Amino acid sequence: MKFLSNKYFLFILRIVIAYIFIYAGAEKIANPDNFALSISNYRLLPTASLNFFAIIIPWIEIVSGLLLLFGILTKENSAIILFLLMIFTIAIIISLFRGLSIDCGCFGKGTQIGLFKLGENLLMIIGSFVLTIFGSDYFVLRNKD
Amino acid sequence: MKISISKIFVIIVVSVLIGLVYNDFNPDGLKLVREERVLNWANDSLSSFPNIKPPVSDSSITLNTFKVDSSKTETKKDDASLLEKPIAIKIDFAYKLYKQGIKFIDARPVEEFAEGHIKGAINIPFYGSENYENVLSKISKDQIVVTYCSGEDCELSILLGDELFNKGYRKVYVFFGGWNDWLLKGYPTSK
Repeated sequence: MKFLSNKYFLFILRIVIAYIFIYAGAEKIANPDNFALSISNYRLLPTASLNFFAIIIPWIEIVSGLLLLFGILTKENSAIILFLLMIFTIAIIISLFRGLSIDCGCFGKGTQIGLFKLGENLLMIIGSFVLTIFGSDYFVLRNKD
Repeated sequence: MKISISKIFVIIVVSVLIGLVYNDFNPDGLKLVREERVLNWANDSLSSFPNIKPPVSDSSITLNTFKVDSSKTETKKDDASLLEKPIAIKIDFAYKLYKQGIKFIDARPVEEFAEGHIKGAINIPFYGSENYENVLSKISKDQIVVTYCSGEDCELSILLGDELFNKGYRKVYVFFGGWNDWLLKGYPTSK
């Protein structure tokens, strides 16, 4: 398992996860109403709160994605992303058990939830977990002090 | 290096603030508190189609996210059959429309449509591709359309109904009960 702490591996992992989250966040910010509908399809949150989450979740994604890209507070931002991913994945699992055939809302309109989506999320969870544990010090923005 | 919870907290708070400020300035921004989607409900006993004016009744059904409220009535415009919002209908009313040759639109995914659908219905899967413009172009905007999906628990028909309505269709009916009720009644289907 030594490659897990390899700085190039961690660097690539960091860039990939950062890119996915920046993209996902931007896609949702462009269509806030679509995203609110996507959340409502999961039928887990009260209607009144949907818009609030639709407004803030994409920005948490994009801010932590950007910070991760530049290697600022890598561990903290990976932890935030890990937390988000776990919530999304739990929501998808619940919906699959309830037999809902709904849009994932992960990257705008288009992909349905399913086992493939679940696998994708699990991979990202593992990735962000590794980043949370090891961090990534290669090619980062840092204060000179 | 340990993870600092307070830094996580700061990042999240800053993101939330940026989100709220951005949403406030965004012309397409959302209201902070979402209002429930209220569907106007047509009564089954309506027979004088197309001069539809749902009678007032006080029963209302609350679905998970969509509130169906029958206490609201449609206001008549110059054309009596123009609707202000998509209207929810039940099986009997839907069948009446069906017999008049009204277009039925199936909002379910392609696979479910292929397994069986209301005879003569066309398929516009709500979560499918957005390239259904050519299907829609064959339907004139003054035409009455009825959207449906699998049953009362699915909201695809409502979502599609709203989308069509926003595209300029002003006579959109949402058939609650959808495919399940249709099957139970043994009305015409095809594969």
